Amino acid sequence: MSSAVAPGHDHPAVAWPPDTQYGSATPGKIGMWIFLVSDAFSFGGLLIAEGILHAGRHSWRPPGEPELGILFTAALTFILLATSLTNVLAWAAAVAGQRRRAALLLGLTALGGVAFLVGQVQEWFGIWSPGLLDEGLVFGRSARASTFYAITGYHGFHVLVGVLYILAILAGYLRRRVGERQIELLGLYWCFVDFVWAFIFSFVYLLPSLGGA
Amino acid sequence: MTDKDLLQQAASAAGHAPAARERGSYLAAFAVLVALTLVEIGVVRSGGIAHRAAVIALVAIAAAKAALIALFYMHLRYETRILKVTVLGPLLAPAVYGLVVMLDAAWRHLR
Repeated sequence: MSSAVAPGHDHPAVAWPPDTQYGSATPGKIGMWIFLVSDAFSFGGLLIAEGILHAGRHSWRPPGEPELGILFTAALTFILLATSLTNVLAWAAAVAGQRRRAALLLGLTALGGVAFLVGQVQEWFGIWSPGLLDEGLVFGRSARASTFYAITGYHGFHVLVGVLYILAILAGYLRRRVGERQIELLGLYWCFVDFVWAFIFSFVYLLPSLGGA
Repeated sequence: MTDKDLLQQAASAAGHAPAARERGSYLAAFAVLVALTLVEIGVVRSGGIAHRAAVIALVAIAAAKAALIALFYMHLRYETRILKVTVLGPLLAPAVYGLVVMLDAAWRHLR
């Protein structure tokens, strides 16, 4: 249980009494979980919409549209998975009182998030090589293109918010204004971004690339 | 029960200390997640797997990866049964709805 001094008070933070049904989960944690479940519905709606549009067409990829880069996106997937690991290790370090290690791991997590976003910008617009827009995958021209940009864009927005969230928590942690509880809540959000990506990688990138798609 | 007892009970029930010590399980989960991602790429790239089997494999692997992340990295395995149901129960709704849509599409395709 946190023993950090509560901001603006001269006494330690009060431990939340264990609940018979929700155990030691704080209202903050339960609130974050409810938010994430509702957010999962929005992703679920987008993926189901893609499935309905896909199922109603004989050919999902119109002539002239590029294939999606599976290997490049797989590399982005590894980056995202690594950031989930560094994030949870940061929390473990914070619980153990290893503040410097926790801060370093949080920084690495943010850096990984930025790397993912740079990769997505490369994929869409092209930085060091032509992007999907240059190659003919244009929003609005086909259901495939529109659903691709809607889903990956919505996810990318979550990654961007996550990076800002990490930086805000990191700044607060360095100033001793936040503790491991807040890092755990951050971890729930950040790992949710990875959780959702597991489905996006499969449903947007891998499944349509199978023969007969 | 005194306030001190309540606080001690909260501390022991928090599940944080054991979770924080399980760094090995975090690394193991990461290794499995990477391996599953490689299997996904292998399924797509191999070309020798029947389409239906490949679809089932990819959906199952995606669900397995998401479950690993939720259980280990989001600490759902340390939470109470009620909280697990609160989180996982509603997520079944879009999954069932998606399955119904896929079955409907398959039925219309076969007709």
